[in-house]
Amino acid sequence: MRFNLGFFLKEALTNIRLNLLMSVTAVTTTFVCVLVLGAAILVSGHVEGIIGSVRQDVSVEAFFSPDETQDRIDEVRQQVEAYPEVSEVKYISQEQALADFKDTFKDNPEIYQDLGSDVLPASLAIQIEDPSEAEAVAGKLRSAGFTDENLSYPQQTIERLNSVTSYMIWGLRAATALFLISSILLISNAIRLSIFARRQEIEVMKLVGASDSFVRTPFVFEGMMQSLVGATLAALVVVWFNYLFVDWARDYLPFFPISASAINTFLVLVILVAVGAAIGVLGSFLSVTRFLRV
Amino acid sequence: MIRFDNVTKLYGRDTVALEQVNLEIEPGEFVFLVGASGSGKSTLVRLILKEMEPSRGAIYVKGVRLSSIPRRQIPRLRRDIGCVFQDFKLLPNKTAAENVGYAMEVTGQKRRAIRTKVPQILDLVGLSAKMGKFPRELSGGEQQRVSVARAFVSQPRILLADEPTGNLDPETSVGIMNLLQRINRIGTTVLVATHDREMVDVMRKRVVALEQGRVVRDMVKGAYADEV
Repeated sequence: MRFNLGFFLKEALTNIRLNLLMSVTAVTTTFVCVLVLGAAILVSGHVEGIIGSVRQDVSVEAFFSPDETQDRIDEVRQQVEAYPEVSEVKYISQEQALADFKDTFKDNPEIYQDLGSDVLPASLAIQIEDPSEAEAVAGKLRSAGFTDENLSYPQQTIERLNSVTSYMIWGLRAATALFLISSILLISNAIRLSIFARRQEIEVMKLVGASDSFVRTPFVFEGMMQSLVGATLAALVVVWFNYLFVDWARDYLPFFPISASAINTFLVLVILVAVGAAIGVLGSFLSVTRFLRV
Repeated sequence: MIRFDNVTKLYGRDTVALEQVNLEIEPGEFVFLVGASGSGKSTLVRLILKEMEPSRGAIYVKGVRLSSIPRRQIPRLRRDIGCVFQDFKLLPNKTAAENVGYAMEVTGQKRRAIRTKVPQILDLVGLSAKMGKFPRELSGGEQQRVSVARAFVSQPRILLADEPTGNLDPETSVGIMNLLQRINRIGTTVLVATHDREMVDVMRKRVVALEQGRVVRDMVKGAYADEV
């Protein structure tokens, strides 16, 4: 049988118009659910962003003794760069170290005015991919000739941070999943109610000889249109709110590393709209199917 | 055209709706199915539509045993059986023309065919002036005529009517019966379940009487009750 798209679309639109109150209910439910879901994604995105940037600060510093030759320093640096756990190695020469020092205390020039360029040691600032591997990297550095005095890494802090943050991340993901599940239930319930009100129509359609898919398709279109509207509105609100929040945080929470880059707005938009539409399709499909057994 | 072979239908464990019914309806026949409420008339109609399965026995429609038709093929079966119900069963959100057209849409017919056929059929049932009206804007008799038009629009070989005049006054009922008779004259097999005594007596058609789920009488050119 030919797929009569025009007929199905017209049917869906007519039904939305005639059952306006039910449609508004379905749209509103989707809107609220997607809003909550979006909020959960925002919170977990920003918290993960903060955690990520705190973790990224975890670095090991290895100081060279002043009598080390430049050749030796280059050799060690290449060795360290080859460690698989290491994401980035930055060489800080004695001159650079002094410049950084001056920059840090630029308001109190008397602190550094007598310092010569050879007082501060040259060092490697080593960024580690996974904070739990800091100890392993430190071990390798020891066997490369660094003593404990020449290594600086906040081992205990790292370990604690690591276990706390992984719990937090999993907690957030679980909460998001719960929101998702309850959204699916709420939305499909709203759709089921609207279809329940029309179960007699479905029965008549079946008695006239309509196939299951012929009865179902307009309902599925209808559910998809309703949830698309609700989800799109909610997604826009979520993204808009995110901009406001990031702006606000920049002014009022300057010590928190909250940045717009923690949230991929386009991706969030796509995910929320897609999830909303998928729930609408799935919800109406399942709900109609329950009433097709005539 | 329709054959019941020792059909028994139970609701639940021991409510008997039909008991060992044997019935053969030939192509082109006009048959009244009579009996009091609860005698099993509606059950018999619903079994033919495969709305449910018999508990025992076999039903054949157009030579095909219904129990051998898979669920997915039921729509195809129903498209060849027009149906008229006591409560009309029109789609409330569609106009008269759309209701009739829907029966053609489900069979996937071309838009153009629908646009030409629907007015013809509505004209045939005398409703060409009310094509754009919704069921709630039509009288009972008019709604039933829409429903007859819908049942007949795809020219099924069988037309089932379950108490088609049950909600109508006698005058309107005559109109509906005449319509069914006309449909029968062009070769459609018509089965009408009714307890409209006068109607049956006037029409002098084959009468099958049900009593507590059993066929108690089957007469050609019969009347509602035994002739005195």
